[in-house]
Amino acid sequence: MLEVRNLVKHFGGVRAVDGLDFKIQQGEVFGLIGPNGSGKSTTVNLVCGVFAPTDGEILLDGIDLGAIAPHNRVDAGVARTFQNIRLFSELTVWQNLWVAWRDQPGQEQGWVSNWFGRSPARRQEIQKLLEFSGLGDKADHLAGNLAFGEQRRLELARAMASKPKLILLDEPAAGMNSAEIKDLCQRVLAMKEMGMTVLLVEHVMELVMNVTDRITVLNFGKPIAQGTPIEIQNNKLVQEAYFGSAENAHGGVS
Amino acid sequence: MDMYLASVLTNMTLIAFLALSAYLVLVVGEVSFGQQAFFGIGAYITASATALAGAHVFWGLLAGAIGGASCALVLGLLTIRLSGIYFAISTLCFAELLRFFLLHLRFTQSVDGRIIGPDGPEGFSNIRWIFENNYQVTDFLLLAVTCLIILLIVLFSLERSPIMLGARMVGNDPILAQSQGLNPTRYRLSFITLSGAVAGFGGGLFALFNTHIEPAMFGVMLGIHGLAYAVIGGLGSAIGPLLGVFLDIGLLESIRSLAAYRMIIFGGLVALLLVFRPEGIISPRLVSHLKSRWRNRHV
Repeated sequence: MLEVRNLVKHFGGVRAVDGLDFKIQQGEVFGLIGPNGSGKSTTVNLVCGVFAPTDGEILLDGIDLGAIAPHNRVDAGVARTFQNIRLFSELTVWQNLWVAWRDQPGQEQGWVSNWFGRSPARRQEIQKLLEFSGLGDKADHLAGNLAFGEQRRLELARAMASKPKLILLDEPAAGMNSAEIKDLCQRVLAMKEMGMTVLLVEHVMELVMNVTDRITVLNFGKPIAQGTPIEIQNNKLVQEAYFGSAENAHGGVS
Repeated sequence: MDMYLASVLTNMTLIAFLALSAYLVLVVGEVSFGQQAFFGIGAYITASATALAGAHVFWGLLAGAIGGASCALVLGLLTIRLSGIYFAISTLCFAELLRFFLLHLRFTQSVDGRIIGPDGPEGFSNIRWIFENNYQVTDFLLLAVTCLIILLIVLFSLERSPIMLGARMVGNDPILAQSQGLNPTRYRLSFITLSGAVAGFGGGLFALFNTHIEPAMFGVMLGIHGLAYAVIGGLGSAIGPLLGVFLDIGLLESIRSLAAYRMIIFGGLVALLLVFRPEGIISPRLVSHLKSRWRNRHV
């Protein structure tokens, strides 16, 4: 469903992404890992249109995303979360979801209910999403006043609210403790069960190894390995990228 | 009504247009030091239209608003890739550029034995619309307040619409707004243009009321005052800038014994507010809080 072909992004002389290829299947959780500065977040930003690629193509269901303006990509079916939490902190939790909300195709509400924000069906749907995210009783709180973990969950809920074909999670576990990471694992698996397709960029191996179907490993902007979590853990090149040389890597990657 | 009171109120109403125009730019997350130029351009255009071309005052004011909006749109297009301090500096330069243009603008005509028209630094004298139509100060106050109320009605309906919500989102975080399907560039351009229209309209009224305008009136201090009123009042609602205007001109100027110390007190007030309420008196946070309390009570 998402196909990245020979993606290249240079910042001046820095080759942040240098010839990346991968394909994500429908309903799959796809991991993108690599050491710091290997181009993972740049890849997410290229798919979302924050940066324009130097070269290469990004296809979503066969449609070239490069031809779609960055602000139209959410309607094309790409939603994301951010590495550093980005929320409209002066809006309430409810409003943050309301502005991200897209109705299921075929059940769109007219612009009148859009304008005045009075659609009972949509209110119920948003409330359901809040319950799923464990924010059911926080609807009227300002997003900026939520606890860190709750803000992360709100970001996730917001990405789901736009009914995307593909959700990009940019280091969702950054700064979480192990209980929160376990909770996040459950949420990502639940999203997969609901049929969502996820691209997960992450450092925290506990999350990556437990939820992904396939993984691509990046180093210096180039893919060095691709495979299932087990295959990746046993890959010599990956161990070298993370630990310097294979001799020292007795403990494995996790 | 007391003449003095009426003229202070009229002044407040006119400056409110400037403060509201600064507010509209602040909403999309930018600081403009250039609104006074749109105010000045509006003043000159309205003055020329009514005094030289003999147009009806309605068309004169409309032309002023359109002139202000066009200049603002040009500024918006020129600064399309700038933000933050770079945008602010550009607005200041652009405004000074327009003021220098006015300083060199001369096309005077003799109408009924009076020299009328922009005359360089001497300015534009004999804008006699207010006398020709026998407007007393109180009549003019009524006209200006009516215009302000119409503008406020427009802004409040905007405030309840997704447009203003979108603008605030863009102002808060353009990258996030973009990822939610909003076009930050379009929002910025529209709001900067709208701010130019509001300032231009206010400038037109200012020209009619003052009967004499000159480029020196539209210097950067005027813009900074307008900006300060919006910042002090807060960006939560269009009421904020009005409150700022009321606090400075209304409260301080009307207490005559303070007149000499007005700027000192004003400066102190700004400093205190920046320490204790950096988001302004009516901050977005406060508005959001009040709205959700109101909702809870009525559900």
